[in-house]
Amino acid sequence: MANPSLIDSLHPLEIKVLVAMTRDGTRAVPTEELGRLAELEPSQLSMAIEWLLAKSLLRMESESVTPFVSLTEVGERYFDTAAPVERVLSIAREATTHGRRVTIQDLQHIEGLEPTDVSGAVGCLKKEGAILIVQGGCLEATGRPSPTAEAIRSLLREVHGGPRELDAFPEPLRRVIQQHAVRRGNPKEPFRVDERVTRAFVLTAEGQAAAQLLAGQTAPEEVSQLTPELLKDGAWRTKRFRKYTINLPPPRMALGKRHPYREFLDSVKHKLIRMGFQEMRGELVETEFWNMDALFMPQFHPARDIHDVYFVKEPTHARSQASEEAGLQSRVAETHESGGRTGSTGWRYRFDIERSNRLVLRSQGTAVSARTLASNPAIPGKYFSIARCFRYDQVDATHATDFFQIEGIVLGRDINFRTLLGLLHLFAGEVAQAKEIRFLPAYFPFTEPSVELHVRHPRLGWMELGGAGLFRPEVTIPLGVTVPVIAWGLGLDRMAMVALGIHDIRDLFTDDLEKIRTTRGRF
Amino acid sequence: MPTISIFKDDFERLLAGNGGPRTPVTVEQLDAWLPLVKGELKGHNPATGEWRIELQDSNRPDLWCCEGIARQVRIKREGRLAPYPFFASKRRPTKRVLVGRGLERVRPYVAACLATGYRVTGEGLAQLIQTQEKLADIYGRKRRTVSIGLYRLASIEFPVHYDLVKPQDVGFAPLGLDTSMTLAEMLLVHPKGLEYGPILAGCDQVPFLRDAVGRPLSFPPIINSREVGEVQVGDEDLFVEVTGSNLTMVMLTLNIFAANLADRGAMIEPVEVVYPHKTERGKAVRTPSAVGRPRAIPLSTIEEALGERLHPADVGRFLKAYGYAVAASKNTLTVKLPPYRDDVMHPVDVVEDVAICRGYGSFTPIMPSQFTVGGLSQLEQVADRLRELMVGMGFQEVISNIMGSRQDMCDAMRLEGTDWAKVVEVANVMSQSYACLRQWILPSLLRVEAASSRAFYPHRIFEAGEVAIPNNASPTGSCTVVRIAALSAHAGANFSEVHSLVDVLMYYIEREYTLEALEHPSFLVGRAGRVLCDGKEIGFIGELHPEVLERWQIGVPVSAFELDVTCLAISG
Repeated sequence: MANPSLIDSLHPLEIKVLVAMTRDGTRAVPTEELGRLAELEPSQLSMAIEWLLAKSLLRMESESVTPFVSLTEVGERYFDTAAPVERVLSIAREATTHGRRVTIQDLQHIEGLEPTDVSGAVGCLKKEGAILIVQGGCLEATGRPSPTAEAIRSLLREVHGGPRELDAFPEPLRRVIQQHAVRRGNPKEPFRVDERVTRAFVLTAEGQAAAQLLAGQTAPEEVSQLTPELLKDGAWRTKRFRKYTINLPPPRMALGKRHPYREFLDSVKHKLIRMGFQEMRGELVETEFWNMDALFMPQFHPARDIHDVYFVKEPTHARSQASEEAGLQSRVAETHESGGRTGSTGWRYRFDIERSNRLVLRSQGTAVSARTLASNPAIPGKYFSIARCFRYDQVDATHATDFFQIEGIVLGRDINFRTLLGLLHLFAGEVAQAKEIRFLPAYFPFTEPSVELHVRHPRLGWMELGGAGLFRPEVTIPLGVTVPVIAWGLGLDRMAMVALGIHDIRDLFTDDLEKIRTTRGRF
Repeated sequence: MPTISIFKDDFERLLAGNGGPRTPVTVEQLDAWLPLVKGELKGHNPATGEWRIELQDSNRPDLWCCEGIARQVRIKREGRLAPYPFFASKRRPTKRVLVGRGLERVRPYVAACLATGYRVTGEGLAQLIQTQEKLADIYGRKRRTVSIGLYRLASIEFPVHYDLVKPQDVGFAPLGLDTSMTLAEMLLVHPKGLEYGPILAGCDQVPFLRDAVGRPLSFPPIINSREVGEVQVGDEDLFVEVTGSNLTMVMLTLNIFAANLADRGAMIEPVEVVYPHKTERGKAVRTPSAVGRPRAIPLSTIEEALGERLHPADVGRFLKAYGYAVAASKNTLTVKLPPYRDDVMHPVDVVEDVAICRGYGSFTPIMPSQFTVGGLSQLEQVADRLRELMVGMGFQEVISNIMGSRQDMCDAMRLEGTDWAKVVEVANVMSQSYACLRQWILPSLLRVEAASSRAFYPHRIFEAGEVAIPNNASPTGSCTVVRIAALSAHAGANFSEVHSLVDVLMYYIEREYTLEALEHPSFLVGRAGRVLCDGKEIGFIGELHPEVLERWQIGVPVSAFELDVTCLAISG
């Protein structure tokens, strides 16, 4: 049943069509007639019909295909001047009357006549007996009429007024039309035959009910859009605003948005700031000195192998270091060899300064911490970095060639094993919302004691959240730091991947824009 | 660090000690003990009783075997290490290894012992071989500093000689082959010769072990003789030898083997190694013997590091239950590592052992109490501001790898042969797709655009991130710079669209700028400009050259800009 809210949501175009359909009983009305009755442009009409069909107010009663003939651009020109067959005939008649000779070659030089037109026209006229071709290739008019020339003229005249149904013409004319209609490979013809689909529509029961309701209304003028003009002169008061069908899907938009993984990193960054951490930054290309030596990783350490770190091709080594750095370097070298002034035995091997200057792509964020330790850090101080690091790994679902490491340091006189655990406890709650945690012994070359932090994540269950420890004195003392220092690192990529719903680490840096746009991070 | 296989039965027997009552061990029990050895259970097979365990501590090679893990647990349960008498024996050994001259230039040190009365089982042999491999490979740096040989004692007559020989002069049938060949031939054809031969590169004489009657034992560190050096299940008496370049490491490795074999029930008989010259431990060195010395550690050092007042007796108890020998006074503990360990460089190493033995869970966490102010670097603040503005202008952020290919960074951008094509390249390239660091961000954005032709248009994307720019003035030959770049790709993308973006960004970070015509191979001539700020070039904008788009197989016009954020942040 047609209800008033349905009536209210009708578009003015739809109303016009409904009213037109009832003008003349309930018979099926063809599209073209409907357009005239409703006084609508074809594009408006087809929109309105589509909407009414969707709302089941209108139903298609019949559909038929009718060939229509119309003039092409070529046909319009022939109408204004003459078709080739007409021209050839009149030139031949004129020449015959005045006793002049005209050959096919002559015709081909007359402006506006193409060689193909000429041969077609001559062939047709000769066949009909309107001309003869005499000795020397001359044309001679016989005085007999050409049915083709006459038929073309009358057709040009009739179709000039607008497309006509092909079937309205008698069979001989239809044949002429077919012969002179454009088709593939024959584009320069005067006529075009198109198939037109004619549909006829009837109102459905609901449509009739709606039309009756409409007939009973004297509708105020309806507008679809509030305009500045309507507001300016207050005319909106007398208007009715068409109601929308509001549950149609909206058009899609291309929006601006942060990258979901960056959003995750930003949230970690802001959590760290809230906990009192200051950001530190470093270089992508580092010396082995800062990347490893300063962290008391012996030069023979397996993780320093050619198969674990990327080396720079050119230059291979850092230029002679600044004097302060050279001082640092000899203190670090001495510590590796014999412990120096740190109370350690050292690694007891021969330190290679050349090796120390070798350039690598930063392989661990701790290199940034080492530089901070050496540049007069605040005490007490808390620092973090989110540093891009590089590892010589075969790229696969769990290994990326470059990745972010989130790590940092805490310096202070009150730093010890228990405050280290306290800090990790804080991280567990703040970063992973974990209430249950476990501390396990761990090994890092630059910390002692070392701890692994395991937490029970609300969604992921038990997982390793990070590693930490107290920097060995062999790290801090040569760099000029005399207070204890916590070194910590968080392994958040697994958390990020779950939050982003991905299973392949390469997808963190995906090149698929659709994926980037549609990923919703659940942090 | 190493992952090893151990077997439940073997572990239970070793845990019980010699002749002790054996009790079953569950996976849960094992998991609870693993923190003592910094181990992680990687997998277990209930059918075979195999446990796969990863050991983290690269300074504790004694733990990379079933015997070592069981021993550490046993000590903790019993509260102390049952002493191994052979380490402390004062009797002069009757068996000797004589070291020849010249080895100090090649492979100076050797340590050895006899192990008798233990009948080698299948499981025991598998563990001996696994330990031999892990120690030589990781602790011995692929046999360079340490390698190990095991022999059937019955076929050896003492003294054993460790000498230098010319590789073409002597030979034997090596393990894995039937025929006798010279040492020189082994280096050329034997798989182990090919693998470990480079250790001896440049030596015209090589190490050789033989017995008193000249019977070859092995060619260290390459391969054993098949005849004497192939231990089999059922053998009861073994000779163990370790050679290498570092005396302490060589001795420690032998100590680990001696302790392991003793744990399996073998009697260990020490050997005297006699050098032609004085070593750091004298001319005649008894092996196995402890390598470390007692060390006095103030109680306060331990207390400060652990953040807690401690009783010296308690600390002593924990260290003993971890294998140390301890003498405690009021303020100082004198500690000595067990002979199979040599990993205390600094008192902090002892501190960690106290904490591990007591259990990390027994320490109450406390918050660091001192106040600090958090904040972002100036650079990150400016970058975040620009990112926020870009998002506001309808741009989707992307993140890319910093490593990439020269093809993408330069060739596809039409930069061949120009100054813009200078990049930081890596020497040890694994894949041409990751052979250099990006020197600009635009190629990263084009990578996304090229892969996303089917995504809904328009495409407006940006990235703020690090690039590495070659720079001779920098000590490292390059500078890390943060840049921001944006790209607009759609049928109507043009210069003025990106110009508007730059204009907005510069307005909000309060910087004046001018544009100057730029001829850049990546952009259409007459439709590109450099952005100047205080007369300094800080970036560029333009319409991408159609040939660049063709090379990336991009089918819509693209306009883009790129700005140097580091430069804007420093001078801003």
